[in-house]
Amino acid sequence: MYPTQLRSTDIAAKPSLVAELMERQWAPCRYNCPVHADVRAYLEHIAQGHWREAIDTIRRHLPFAAVCGRVCHHPCEANCRRRDVDSAVAIRELKRFVAELQGSQGATVQRSARQDGPAVAIVGGGPSGLAAALELAKGGYRPTVFERFGRAGGIPATAIPEYRLPRSVVQVDVDWICAHGVELITGVAVGKDTTIEQLRKEGFKAVLIATGLSSGRGLAIPGAPREGVLGALEFLTDLGLGRRPAIGRDVLVIGGGNVAVDAARSALRLGAAGVRMMCLETREEMPAFEWEQREAEEEGITFIHRRGPAEAIAANGRVVGIKARKVTRVFDENKRFDPRYDDDDLIEVACDTLLIAIGQAADYGFLAGSAVQLDVRGRLNYNAATCQTGVPEVFACGEIVTPPGSVVEACASGQRAARAMDMYLSGRPVVLDDSLPPFIGQIPPETGEKVRKVVRQPVSAQPPEVRRTNLQEVDHNYAESAALREARRCMSCGAGAEVLIDKCAACLTCLRVCPFGIPVVTDVARIDSDRCQSCGICIAECPANAIVSRSREAGWIVRRTVAALEKTRGDGLRIVAYLCGHIATAGQWRGEEPLADGLVEMYLPSLSALGTLDILKAFESGADAVLVVTPQDSAERYPQAVRRLRKRVAQARSLLKDIGLKKSRIQLFELTRPTRQAVGEALLAAAQELRGGAIKPIGASR
Amino acid sequence: MIVGERKPMDEILAMLEPFGRVLVLACGGCVTVCLTGGEKQADELASQLRLAARRKGRQLTVDVDCITRQCDREFVANLKCNPADYDAVLSIACGVGVGFMSELFPAKPFLPGLNTTFYGACTANGIWQEYCYGCGDCVLAWTGGICPIARCSKSLINGACGGTNQGKCEVSRDMDCAWHVIYERLEAAGRLDELRKIRPPRDWRLDRSGGLRRLTHQELVDEEAGK
Repeated sequence: MYPTQLRSTDIAAKPSLVAELMERQWAPCRYNCPVHADVRAYLEHIAQGHWREAIDTIRRHLPFAAVCGRVCHHPCEANCRRRDVDSAVAIRELKRFVAELQGSQGATVQRSARQDGPAVAIVGGGPSGLAAALELAKGGYRPTVFERFGRAGGIPATAIPEYRLPRSVVQVDVDWICAHGVELITGVAVGKDTTIEQLRKEGFKAVLIATGLSSGRGLAIPGAPREGVLGALEFLTDLGLGRRPAIGRDVLVIGGGNVAVDAARSALRLGAAGVRMMCLETREEMPAFEWEQREAEEEGITFIHRRGPAEAIAANGRVVGIKARKVTRVFDENKRFDPRYDDDDLIEVACDTLLIAIGQAADYGFLAGSAVQLDVRGRLNYNAATCQTGVPEVFACGEIVTPPGSVVEACASGQRAARAMDMYLSGRPVVLDDSLPPFIGQIPPETGEKVRKVVRQPVSAQPPEVRRTNLQEVDHNYAESAALREARRCMSCGAGAEVLIDKCAACLTCLRVCPFGIPVVTDVARIDSDRCQSCGICIAECPANAIVSRSREAGWIVRRTVAALEKTRGDGLRIVAYLCGHIATAGQWRGEEPLADGLVEMYLPSLSALGTLDILKAFESGADAVLVVTPQDSAERYPQAVRRLRKRVAQARSLLKDIGLKKSRIQLFELTRPTRQAVGEALLAAAQELRGGAIKPIGASR
Repeated sequence: MIVGERKPMDEILAMLEPFGRVLVLACGGCVTVCLTGGEKQADELASQLRLAARRKGRQLTVDVDCITRQCDREFVANLKCNPADYDAVLSIACGVGVGFMSELFPAKPFLPGLNTTFYGACTANGIWQEYCYGCGDCVLAWTGGICPIARCSKSLINGACGGTNQGKCEVSRDMDCAWHVIYERLEAAGRLDELRKIRPPRDWRLDRSGGLRRLTHQELVDEEAGK
């Protein structure tokens, strides 16, 4: 797609061009994230070892960063454009890495300078309620969250099994949210211990209902006895709260969603000898995530597809099995849930415990003593456009008013309700703008095949035979080196080149140097953002300075060089080394492992962006020599980048020679094994030779 | 398009010797396309000049500007730097741009940063080659599109001279004989009969020996200027 045309006059008028350009068109990861976290930006921070900046960038939109690092359904990955090349970037795992590395202390708390706005009450301390509370606190309101359980966090804190989501991880998010001035009161059930009306009388100017779907939906199976039949959500909540619900040896779980899989895998861990799952759907139709199904299967859980319970078989008041009928269809022509059965096709499945996981329902107990009504269908009377219930100052968010979803969707719903409450409480009409910028499309195959393939970093997991025996975590966090490698797989979609149409001379240079064959020159050059790989080669080569980066302000390399040179110590020769950031550790990126005084190491995401002019400008900024370190072409992120770099270094040397400066002031190192040791040895040897009298400082007036 | 090459640095430095404030002025036309006179080349040249001055301990201020074309007065309005604020302007346009700007700013030294070399085309990445001499009396219709004025060392128009040797010109073994190339092109096209025709002598008055050349589109000429 070619967004609106950009002119150099537009650039001059904009204080922050990058912010503006990056908002014009989103990468699909960001667009499809329910809270629209700036995925590309935080992956770049991770790729450079800037953990604090990464977690701050995540938390700017996503309060439950740590929880989502474990359990998010990651629509970002499902829409990652790397899938058009090899496989999606492991965005969720990277989020987990940085969120858990930093904990609740490692992320910046941006508490509102003034928090003297009206008090608001939030009923329910799950993801949607806490996300709303955070937004309100940041906006200067005084939110108090009432949570019926003894701990906040909602389903993630009570019902998601610990092997998937340890409680300490949930607490990281809850602590960080509360640090913004969110008051949390646990162990209080609204509707029982207090009422919405009572809260209003106590001075809360608005109330937000965020109670979620806290009850399991019952299933009336003819003949079902009391003993041995459990609701999956209640079973999981019991387990989550530290109790050990009694189950038998032969467990049958009814349902095909994620709660069903959680229940099945938990039952296995509690000692069941065999666990089976029975659901209406085929494997492909099952609502449970594919990876959940796979892990369950690895642990020995078996599936009975396309069967629905017809009748329970009981003996001595205890379940001993079930008769199940064949399912002929699950959805109607309009893809609505409308199952049909063949009652003549029955099988018997023996079991001693039946876990029912066919969905969740709202518990409307909080309405007791309140003017808020249910509608004719028995659901909360709610206007989705304004997030308001029938009582204007009572709002609602989360799964009680939205379709069931994941944590990140609940957060988005809470944030939206917070915006509505802010409008209402500040006397403005409640008009929510849900519009989004356009997002860039798929990578066409002819471009995708030119992008270098990089294998996704695997996550190590406990072997199934071990993990099925305990409630310990199933998979492990990335090691730092793996996180860096994985984050560097991000293709920086939508962060690439933009043509200034008034400056473009249609010279065709961009078309001739682009390693991906993307620019098209008609009247002026056009660079399709769906295809641009953000390598920056055209920007460095354009003779008219007519191409700018969407993600980096013009002259960024020079500015970074100037800043780094200002910090150098020693009065000897000053040497600037430009290094490919893809071969650097986090510490090197952060400048924590300097090699020698007077040797400034500048890591760039790729040296493809380093132009001849940047090298000259380094000398202008005070460098006496410039060393450039790149891996061999095959290890470079972009094809042809090393070839291009050689030419630029040669050109810069020739321009230096023009003015009587030795060519040895610019040196290029192409390392076959660019380890820290090899890089260090090459740089120190070059620096030693230069300092040994090969060159002198360029001038006194630097 | 017009092709130019950067002047040797020593010559540029010598030209700028008397001046302390210099504007390097790029041109967004032909010389941008041939990668010698664009804004980026101006930035690079300015950087070199500052470094050279620092090396010699000399005070020199160098700024950079660029306009769409230095051969049209209307674009001058887009200058961001005022030439009046500088001691000299180093233009890296072709000679047309340098000359035209000098006329517009007669009080200011406009110095050429390029040598304007030829009318050419890009034949491969990074390579430009001469295709036309601007002789004023085009013969390409019967030479298979190959210009004997530009490509023949003697600018002959009635076939090869005695200096042609195995397809090469006697002037240089590396240079094709233009008439040999013309012959081969016409032979391949089945048009060799073009060469059997006797061409009358060329009107060399149309070349630059006829003095300053002008193009006039009468339909666009303002009455005042046309006189």
